[in-house]
Amino acid sequence: MTSNFLTTFFRKFVPALVAIVIVLWLYKYYGALEYTLKNLAEFFRLIYEHLILVIISMAAAIAVGITLGVIMTRKALEGISPVIMAVVNVWQSVPSLGVIALAYGILPLLGMSGIGIVPALIALFMHAVAPIVRNTYAGVESVSSDVIESATGMGMTQKQILFDIEIPNAMPVIMGGVRTSTAIIVGTAPLAFLIGGGGLGFWIFTGIALVDMGIMLAGAVPVALLAMFVDYLLAMLEKVVVSKGIQADQYA
Amino acid sequence: MGTMLSFKEVTKIYPGAEHIKAINELSFDLEDGEICTLVGPSGCGKSTAMKMVNRLIPMTSGKILIDGQNIDRLNTIELRRGIGYVIQNIGLFPNMTIGENIAIIPKMKGWDEGRIKERVETLLDIVNLPAEEYIDRYPRELSGGQQQRIGVARGMAIDPPVMLMDEPFGAIDPINRDHLQNEFLKIQAKLKKTIVFVTHDIDEAIKMGDKVCLLKDGKLVQFASPEKMLTEPANDFVRDFVGGDRTLKRLNLLTIRTAIRPDPPVVLETEKSATAGTIMTETGAKHLITVDSEGRLTGYIDHEALKKDGETVEQIKCETEAFLPDTSSLKDGLSEIFSHDLEFLIVLDDSKRVIGTLYTDDIKKILRG
Ligand SMILES: Nc1ncnc2c1ncn2[C@@H]1O[C@H](COP(=O)(O)OP(=O)(O)OP(=O)(O)O)[C@@H](O)[C@H]1O
Ligand SMILES: [Mg+2]
Repeated sequence: MTSNFLTTFFRKFVPALVAIVIVLWLYKYYGALEYTLKNLAEFFRLIYEHLILVIISMAAAIAVGITLGVIMTRKALEGISPVIMAVVNVWQSVPSLGVIALAYGILPLLGMSGIGIVPALIALFMHAVAPIVRNTYAGVESVSSDVIESATGMGMTQKQILFDIEIPNAMPVIMGGVRTSTAIIVGTAPLAFLIGGGGLGFWIFTGIALVDMGIMLAGAVPVALLAMFVDYLLAMLEKVVVSKGIQADQYA
Repeated sequence: MGTMLSFKEVTKIYPGAEHIKAINELSFDLEDGEICTLVGPSGCGKSTAMKMVNRLIPMTSGKILIDGQNIDRLNTIELRRGIGYVIQNIGLFPNMTIGENIAIIPKMKGWDEGRIKERVETLLDIVNLPAEEYIDRYPRELSGGQQQRIGVARGMAIDPPVMLMDEPFGAIDPINRDHLQNEFLKIQAKLKKTIVFVTHDIDEAIKMGDKVCLLKDGKLVQFASPEKMLTEPANDFVRDFVGGDRTLKRLNLLTIRTAIRPDPPVVLETEKSATAGTIMTETGAKHLITVDSEGRLTGYIDHEALKKDGETVEQIKCETEAFLPDTSSLKDGLSEIFSHDLEFLIVLDDSKRVIGTLYTDDIKKILRG
């Protein structure tokens, strides 16, 4: 037990701690801390905008991605699911900046503005939904056919099989998709600034433009810490939503 | 008693394979409390036949009745919940604990917590996995054999009168399989379910079945008791399928009781030694079995023993291990006789009382029929 705890401690927490210490040192060294304290009100506004971007696009991506992924596993769609998956795969290979640019370029054709928080949200969502769809589909498909057959043979309804068997057993893979797509969103969110979506990207790009490491880090460091924090939250969430019977690291 | 499950001219043609009848006018009746083993070569339609009972596979024509009710008239979900289902790869739900796996159908039936808990504990007890230790484990924390037992327990959760089992012991090594089979037969002796049991192993079919249903290319070749299938195979196919060692297989199937020679030469161990000597001279017996006042085996005496000093039989008797209960198979009996080079075996009942003897001659006579 103790040794187990120590291994986890050294494998997971020590590297994270080292990274945080280094980042915070840079933060202080280049005067980012000072800059932030001087512009505290703006800092909070940017954080707020940034969180809005991440949380809303994330929530939408999870809701839509899981739903779509599950629907694609249903018998009726057996024929077209592989086609949708192919599209999803191609879509996922478009780089972040490309997605932002696409939103900027295409939304006006649909009669919407290409500038502002809404196009930014749409772009982030579109970018993040792919891994979730893909993993949900793959996860549900991979539930053993024996398990499904015995559930059916025992007299469980389609709905019970979906919610009590298929989704819970696909959860580790679904969560993998959620974590991937969160990483993408957190990493892409600063780019939203480029199309007027706000957020910490403002300081990052300003810093770059002015060749001012302080301003740049004042935006970049909170983004990095946010990424770590969100990943940690998701790891916690995974422990809760994935049954102990199928958690991967049980015997690692 | 009465017919519990009947197939009436059931035919199955799979869509896309219209020229093949996967099941061809299959008819048979199964009594309440019987195990029917469905056996035959790979692809003969065993699984298909079984899965039509709980409508996992819809039949093309014919009727299946459970307890007189046409299954087509029942709601699919209700029908399935009334039938225990156990498959080869077990299909335990990996995301649920053992307790949750077993409780799933009772829960859906709306049983209250207390009743469910009690039932789960009873079932774990029946399959010999102590509840305290196993109820909160997950399937992956169990061995294959243990998972299989949980599969059986789950299949029995709501005490269904009918159970379907598709090669339930197929994935288990021979030693553990034998053990599980015996355990299962013990459980069945108590619970008396009507069971359709699919296997491709003729030995298992003979061992587990009250009736054996032998299929070939979707057609019923023979439906009979194992004994009958061995002694009176319907045709050459059956003869081949049961194998050239039919006779030896019957040894496994028959119990010692069927070949027992009654009225064994016994003497009370409280008798005088001299009396024993007189009995042996008079009857010409080379051995006398000694028993206590309850008729339980204590040993034996022979001419050597008679030469010993000793007033009573008890003082001169020898120990013996040449005995078996009458419920053992003839195979075990014969094996015992051969391996210890015995003239005969002493046969005991449940309470170790001597009820007869077993001679190789009698076994031969039985096998000759
Ligand atoms: N879904 C299906 N579609 C078409 N044909 C099928 C289907 N399922 C089974 N069959 C065919 O029906 C026949 C009977 O199959 P079934 O699975 O019942 O055999 P089985 O006796 O259980 O064989 P095994 O011992 O290999 O499990 C086989 O010829 C098989 O190819
Ligand atoms: Mg089969």
